[in-house]
Amino acid sequence: MLSRRNQVRLRNFGRRMRGGRRVCRVCPGDCVSLSELPTGAKGRVLCNNDTKTIERGLYENSLVEVYRNEEGEPNLIVAVGDSRYVLDRRIASLIRVKTL
Amino acid sequence: MSKMHVIALVGNPNVGKTTLFNALTGARQTVGNWPGVTVEHKSGYFYHEHQKLELIDLPGIYSLSASSPDEQVSRDFIINQKPDLIINIVDASNLERNLYLTTQLMEMRVPMMIVFSMTDIAEQNEVEIDYQHLVSHLGFDAIPLQLNKKHDLEHLIGKIQENLHREVPIVEIKYDEIVEKELAAIEQHLINAGESIISGSRWTALKLIEEDAQVQKQISPQCLEEVSIHVRNVSKHRRQPGPAVIADDRYGFIRGLVKDVVKRKRRSPYTFSDRVDQLVLNKVLGMPIFFLVMYLVFLVAVRFSQPFVDLIDTGFSWLFVEQFGLLLQNLNLPSWLSFILTEGLGGGITTIGTFIPPIFFIYVSLSILEDSGYMARAAFLSDKFMRKIGLPGKAFIPLLVGFGCTVPAIMATRTLESKRDRVFASLLAPFMSCGAKLPVYTFLGMMFFAQRADLLIFGLYLGGVVMALLTGLLLRKTIFRTDPGNFVMELPPYHVPTLNAILLHTWHRLKDFVLRAGKTILIVIVFINILQLIYVPSPFRNEEGKPQKETVLQIGGKALTPLLHPMGIEKENWQASVALISGLFAKEAIVGSLQSLYQAEGSEEKLEKTIGERFGSLSAILAYLFFVMLYSPCAAALAMLWKEHGAGWMIFSFGYLTVLAWAVATLIYQLSHWSSESLLWIGVILALGLGFYQLLRIIGKKDRNVIKA
Repeated sequence: MLSRRNQVRLRNFGRRMRGGRRVCRVCPGDCVSLSELPTGAKGRVLCNNDTKTIERGLYENSLVEVYRNEEGEPNLIVAVGDSRYVLDRRIASLIRVKTL
Repeated sequence: MSKMHVIALVGNPNVGKTTLFNALTGARQTVGNWPGVTVEHKSGYFYHEHQKLELIDLPGIYSLSASSPDEQVSRDFIINQKPDLIINIVDASNLERNLYLTTQLMEMRVPMMIVFSMTDIAEQNEVEIDYQHLVSHLGFDAIPLQLNKKHDLEHLIGKIQENLHREVPIVEIKYDEIVEKELAAIEQHLINAGESIISGSRWTALKLIEEDAQVQKQISPQCLEEVSIHVRNVSKHRRQPGPAVIADDRYGFIRGLVKDVVKRKRRSPYTFSDRVDQLVLNKVLGMPIFFLVMYLVFLVAVRFSQPFVDLIDTGFSWLFVEQFGLLLQNLNLPSWLSFILTEGLGGGITTIGTFIPPIFFIYVSLSILEDSGYMARAAFLSDKFMRKIGLPGKAFIPLLVGFGCTVPAIMATRTLESKRDRVFASLLAPFMSCGAKLPVYTFLGMMFFAQRADLLIFGLYLGGVVMALLTGLLLRKTIFRTDPGNFVMELPPYHVPTLNAILLHTWHRLKDFVLRAGKTILIVIVFINILQLIYVPSPFRNEEGKPQKETVLQIGGKALTPLLHPMGIEKENWQASVALISGLFAKEAIVGSLQSLYQAEGSEEKLEKTIGERFGSLSAILAYLFFVMLYSPCAAALAMLWKEHGAGWMIFSFGYLTVLAWAVATLIYQLSHWSSESLLWIGVILALGLGFYQLLRIIGKKDRNVIKA
């Protein structure tokens, strides 16, 4: 019998063989990180503690639309107000949004 | 005599500060549709009613948080120099984000007037702004202007004069009730403690909640401890760090303001740029378009410049070498001086001249990409694969420039933010086969691999890229172990580039190359030219066994030949070694050297036969070509590396590339020309590689703090 750890390893290996990680579908009202929002999805910023991105318009309650978010890419493109930004995935993962 | 007024231009990146600066002062500063065009402040003057006014163009900033060097420059200037008036340029097509900086300036209580730029783009986007209403809320004087059109400068200057003598209106941004209470408490602490207050006690209190390191430094530790209690209260109340609380509340104020004065007529939130981006950044089409654009840049740089390179080469040689030589001959100067002046200096100027066309065409292409706004998209698209070798997407551009010439490629690394990225990209740039290597590939390729010359040349170009990738991975695992900096980059709206801006941009860069890099390059070239042309008694005897006189480079070539034996260069083929040394001067010199040295031994028709005989086999020629592809960059590129990153990195680049070239060429020759020695040399290469890897790891551990992102 496989240990729990090896079961996870085996499952991840299978996923990799199938071509990428399985991503959960994001439904309206879900609270997710910005990096999890798929291309074309819109969200409202719930929590962002990164001053640099707040200063660029990603403040609490601001509307954000994801223009491009491809798995495996280090960045995503988001639209906030009249600005378009290339946002590092590491930063985007720290911003919580409520999907619309 | 009255004091000269100082006026500073402040605003977000890419809002038209430099355009206004040029319009007012008549200066010719570079403008661009690319954040970071102005990285240090520039000053100019203009006159109004016989009064001289100084205008300062500050770097484009999003806020006054001083989190980056350009923000630091702007903030320090405003605080320390205290300009008589600040012209805050606000992009009307992106009002909300731009007003963030305006609110910070308002809180600093500095004399200010507002200029709304890009009003035409706002109209295009069907955004209607009630400027009068906005001005009544802000309390500062403001005028809308179209900076790319001829506008009423006199009217603007008149407004500047008015505002120079106007009192600063007091407009307070109201924060959350608890934040306001804590702000008042901090202000009281500061006053009671008699602390030095910059730009008013409220501003200092705000900066302390924002955990501003610069302001914290100026407050006594005891007072700072008391203040920290209030800052913690703010954070606890909002469950956010202090800086985020203040930034959020500022946006609360701005959102209310914008709601009041802006009307959006258009239903679709998508702009023209968004629609273009749907194609340009498309998941399927994005990369092919990117490669097509990059191919066009490469094509323009290599193909368009070639006729001009030939023209300059012929023209400058005639003028600075032949005619100048005749003139010196008529003046009866000593032959050695005449020789240094014509062959060294004249030859050096000619070489620098030949760099100008590729640099010009590369910069024209890059200026078009920058001014149109595509450069930011290119950086995004290339980021994915550039990160695999430890470089940010922006580094793709310098590497691409490397296909034209390594010198501007190293210069182009200046656009990268961190020192680590700049050094790393500069080390990889020489792997891209520059235009000067192409004649060598064509010369030997057409001569010995005529059937498959195209494949060979393509293979050499590809080989360079593969070696760059491998080197990138090696350096990432050893000396550049930190990740490339994470970035938040704005995608500016697309603009149609103006001819004036493109030429101005190109002119600035070209001038920079000729005046700064050219000087260093010229010194190196003169030195190598002297070595190449001065005859000294040779330790090597001629074929008849008699002593002879040879140039220093010829002697060096003969001394070098035994080292090249493992890659198929035999003792009798010393000409190949001399050509490699002359290639250090300029890669295109290799062809000239091979032709002149081998032709000296027979007629032109016999050239192919002579070279073939001396190399002995096709595998030796192939190994030689790979050596040319990889070995040390030319003197000009080395001088540029020295200038940009110091002597240490220049020596590293020279040593690493030359050893790598030797190892690859030896491997190719030994594998395709198997003999009893082959196993020994392959073993030597493996040991060398392993030793070098360990050395790099040790250097990496030692310098971890020096080369950081």
